[in-house]
Amino acid sequence: MKIESNGECLCISEIQELTAVTSASFRDGVGYALNESTSVIEIDLSQTRFMDSSGLGALFALYRATAKRDAFVMRLLNPVPEIEQLLELTQMQQLFEIVRR
Amino acid sequence: MKALLICPMERPSVPRLAEAGPLATAPILGDCAVCHWIEHLAALGARQIEIIAPDGASQVREAVGDGARWGVRVSVTASSIEPTREEAVDQYQPEVKAGWLPAPHDVVVMSHLPGSSGPPLFESYASWFAAILAWMPLALTPARIRVEQVRPGIWVSSRARVSPTAKLIAPCWIGDQVSVVAGAVVGPDAILEDRSVADGTARITRSWVGPDTFVGPMTCVANSLAWGSTLIDWRTDSLLHVPDPFLLSSLARPTSAATTDRFGRALATRRPAEAKHGLITAMRVPLGSTADLKLHA
Repeated sequence: MKIESNGECLCISEIQELTAVTSASFRDGVGYALNESTSVIEIDLSQTRFMDSSGLGALFALYRATAKRDAFVMRLLNPVPEIEQLLELTQMQQLFEIVRR
Repeated sequence: MKALLICPMERPSVPRLAEAGPLATAPILGDCAVCHWIEHLAALGARQIEIIAPDGASQVREAVGDGARWGVRVSVTASSIEPTREEAVDQYQPEVKAGWLPAPHDVVVMSHLPGSSGPPLFESYASWFAAILAWMPLALTPARIRVEQVRPGIWVSSRARVSPTAKLIAPCWIGDQVSVVAGAVVGPDAILEDRSVADGTARITRSWVGPDTFVGPMTCVANSLAWGSTLIDWRTDSLLHVPDPFLLSSLARPTSAATTDRFGRALATRRPAEAKHGLITAMRVPLGSTADLKLHA
């Protein structure tokens, strides 16, 4: 997993899978990189091939942690169709901005 | 009167429908496709039906038995090819066609549901879904005494359990022994096949839910075919093997460790990356097993 802070934007990419095994390190890594000036989080899911409820929980925890910030945006970039299906199944696509670039 | 019924071979466009059995035995509104056709031909006057089965002849034979259920005699013949209607006429029908149902019912290629001019069944997942949806009003035959139309466009089995606080939106089909739990929303354009469960506040719309499938609380199945733990978006053919059984899973008792759900079985053997998740599902204890263990203890 790669985390880059670009001013106001925190970009997370190269996530192979987001599961019970990897979600804790995802949460810790993003939590460490997140600071007061961050107003956008972009999570690139183009390489994510597998996600389970722990992974969804990690995304939701991040959403909750940032939901109270003014004008905060959390984007999921280029999820593969299977991950998009999972987001729709759990209705989590309503929480995030899903963007294709 | 005689009739000939030609079953389909496996189609590359809908591989998941044929993983556990031939397409002819795929479940449709409480019965399998070939059974619907036998019932239809019997109603037209057929008393002897020969079935040509290019795929899974033994499973077709098991599904239809000897035909006594419909008051007809049924024989199943294995074939290495799926003949066209013309080829079947040449090969199986005598020149003198006395004693056969009048054309076109004498030789039937099972590409549609009986009496339907709707989309072909096996062209794509989208056409499979559209064909079933279009056929719902025609599925209530005199032999199907357990299902009734409770409101326009809403068909419910008398043995289904629908919570008073669940919402059914036409058109929808609630099959035999289905449970629709409080707060669930089913429809429009939704089919719950036999013994499936829509748990509390689940939403099922523009989708087909296969038999023995659990749709978990707060999940939203839309534009999909859901069977066991597998979800197929019929618009894109995208397939997801849902890893968490509380979201979507099979309720069928596995006959072996590998047959927990029909779609998932082949995934576990064909795609190594997904095999481990298939194994997790296969190891899941089915409902009722706990009680069994206690009884045996």
